[in-house]
Amino acid sequence: MALLELRNVASYYGNVQALRGVSLRVEQGEVVTLLGANGAGKSTALRTISGLLRPASGEIWFEGRPIHDMAAEKIVRLGISHVPEGRRIFPGLTVRENIMLGTSNRGRLPKKQMDEEVARMFEVFPVIKPFGNALGWTLSGGQQQMLAVARGLMARPKLLLLDEPSLGLAPLIVQQLFATIREIHARGTTILLVEQNAHMALSVANRGYVLETGEMRIEGSPKELLGNDEVRAAYLGGHAAATPR
Amino acid sequence: MRSQESSRTTLSPSRRLSAWLLVLIPAAAAVPLIPYATEVSHFAVSMFMQTVTYAIAVLGMVVVLGYAGQINLAQAAFFGFGAYGVALGTVSYGLPFWVSFAMGIGVAAIAGGILGLTTLRLGGHYLAMITISFQQIFDLVAVNWIALTHGPDGIAGIPRPSLFSYELSDDRAYLLLCTLVLYGLIALVWWLPQTRLGRAMRGVRENELAAEVIGVHTLRVKVTAFILCATLGGIGGGLYAGGFAYISPDNFNFTRAVEFLSMVLLGGAQSPFGAVLGTTLLILLPEWLKEMPPSLQFIKDVYLAIYGLAVILIMVFMPEGLWGLLRNGWKKLRSPVPVDTTSIPKLELDIPVTDATPLLKLEGMQKFFGGLRAVDGIDLEVGRGTVHALIGPNGSGKTTMLNVVNGIYKPTGGRIIIDGQDVSQKAPHERAGHGLGRTFQNIRLFPAMSALENVIVGAQRDNNPIEPGRPALRMRAMSALQFVGLADKADAIVRSLPYGHQRLVEIARALAGHPKLLLLDEPAAGLNQTEKMELVELLRRLRSGHGLTIFLIDHDMGLVEKISDRITVLNFGKKIAEGAPQEVLRHPEVIAAYLGEEPANGVA
Repeated sequence: MALLELRNVASYYGNVQALRGVSLRVEQGEVVTLLGANGAGKSTALRTISGLLRPASGEIWFEGRPIHDMAAEKIVRLGISHVPEGRRIFPGLTVRENIMLGTSNRGRLPKKQMDEEVARMFEVFPVIKPFGNALGWTLSGGQQQMLAVARGLMARPKLLLLDEPSLGLAPLIVQQLFATIREIHARGTTILLVEQNAHMALSVANRGYVLETGEMRIEGSPKELLGNDEVRAAYLGGHAAATPR
Repeated sequence: MRSQESSRTTLSPSRRLSAWLLVLIPAAAAVPLIPYATEVSHFAVSMFMQTVTYAIAVLGMVVVLGYAGQINLAQAAFFGFGAYGVALGTVSYGLPFWVSFAMGIGVAAIAGGILGLTTLRLGGHYLAMITISFQQIFDLVAVNWIALTHGPDGIAGIPRPSLFSYELSDDRAYLLLCTLVLYGLIALVWWLPQTRLGRAMRGVRENELAAEVIGVHTLRVKVTAFILCATLGGIGGGLYAGGFAYISPDNFNFTRAVEFLSMVLLGGAQSPFGAVLGTTLLILLPEWLKEMPPSLQFIKDVYLAIYGLAVILIMVFMPEGLWGLLRNGWKKLRSPVPVDTTSIPKLELDIPVTDATPLLKLEGMQKFFGGLRAVDGIDLEVGRGTVHALIGPNGSGKTTMLNVVNGIYKPTGGRIIIDGQDVSQKAPHERAGHGLGRTFQNIRLFPAMSALENVIVGAQRDNNPIEPGRPALRMRAMSALQFVGLADKADAIVRSLPYGHQRLVEIARALAGHPKLLLLDEPAAGLNQTEKMELVELLRRLRSGHGLTIFLIDHDMGLVEKISDRITVLNFGKKIAEGAPQEVLRHPEVIAAYLGEEPANGVA
């Protein structure tokens, strides 16, 4: 049984159909990446899984039970944590408070454990450590991105949905971030990753899917996807090898 | 074949409009003539008069709240200025009606301008507080300064005016006049959003910072919106005083101001038709509820509660008001008109490289936030027609530096020189007038406006060297959209566009303003590798084809290496390296602080 399974899911943004019969599986312990152009429906897929959008049709199963009719806060409590695109941090709370709020789905934690876990996040993201007591909005854009990822990790999810975590991060930090993703994966968290940086995403993923205008086009291992001419041309910036002019 | 088709499609919107007008105009014209045609009670006529004069004041709320996005809880005071102008002028000082009317409107407009000036420092709930206080002051003066205002007793015996020696003493004739004035003002308010000023107002509503940066004098726009709003309030009030012949302070208190606000929100703040609809409903609804048949007698006892509940429900379920609901329903039925992209002229951007002096020069630039030295004494020169990249770790001060260059922050020390002119003390919109364009890290578009409208606001900056007039603005904007490859999306509301397209619209908006220097804050963020390659192409076309100077921040080293002539590296607000890409990207300190050991992962 897959940890997460989407069966023929369709979603709309207002009148616009963003997902057209999407099916995908994420097995326990995998890192799965979702590739595709802007507007292909990657973020919509994540939003539909986490309950921020309700699918118009189709089914979503998590640990053997349907979740497509559940409210977002209920889905979080089942163990799905969504780090949305675009730095949705709490600007008026301190960095530390932002991180602590990530545990909202886990009930009340003993203070000692909370402190330890927050300290652990500052180890992962040392750049934001000096700003623990600064308000969220005072961080630079890239620092806010790190904070958002840290907050998502605090949920200790069974399944972590990461939407473009590397957006706006310095190369060094992107490397650290992907090292962190590998590490939390090694500790047993299953990850569904949406990422524009396809090379990086495929370097951590076990499998990948390619979405195109709301439809699932290609599925395969990183090796297969990296070798696929169509994928190379569209998402990896390479040129379709076999098209002489 | 193609041109035939496109000419057909461009005709159809006006055809649809004329079909609408064919129904609307006779219906509207018939309304004020009803009292002439049939016997109507005096009570009904005065309800009618109240609706028409209130609606004029509510039109003012459409301008200030619906278009410019500024809260105003003092509209009853402006209404009162108009009414007291007529009442005091005619009754106390014996002046002719129209002279008193004009004076009342003048006072209202001046008061509106003063209130608008407070938006320089305050917005949102602070502005709400200021306008409430203003409203209260008006109320207190009207009640307590008895020598001037006759106090709570009010002023009676206000005469009706005459028009071209025709006495308007007949209720029906005066009502006809008021209705015609209302129609004229509806037309004006309806036309306003398509004008330069109207677009600027909507830009301020949607994203004030972005509007300022692309050259909108935001304070002037907000003050103008308040003056227009107050003027409309004054006109409504003046006609009201003439219509009812008696006024007292309780016609113009805070409760009335809240009523005006409810009317505009209920009907739909974005449209003059919504204002009229909301006003009519909120005046008629209590009357309908009062006049229920005996079997529903209990309603009479609780009609105020029902009325309040109805207002709450409408607000909750129709945030755009009743008119917004009608309009959205109509839009769904309408098929989108394809954009004709065949006849768009090429984007004209050419900037001759006239001399060898740097286009942008920073001298000892500093920006401190309290104890944090975000930018700490930077000297930098950006050569004409070059691409200069600024890189560095997150939080090293890159965006702050861009914000100081374009005037969002005032520098703590140092000078910013653009094209030989010291602009250190200039406001962002003035710098836009000097040819400074910019995009933002977290896209700042006007989300509820179309792509084309967004770009037109960029094109209408001061000193933009294009022909005057709307067709030229539109053409300029279409050319800019065409240049970034989005001409076919011109009519799309930008909020509905995918992220990467929004980035391109933002670049098009900056290009439409004919910039000499373009500041780009992480233009490649959120783009995939293929889209990044397209961006590289776009930036190359801008530089080599047009001589545009570009100063950009990005974290994609592949992209930066490909397009930059020079790179500056910041860390902790200080410059740690500068030079040609190959040399800077191999600099040990840059590798340690920023790049890391792994090979660059950008555009391969």
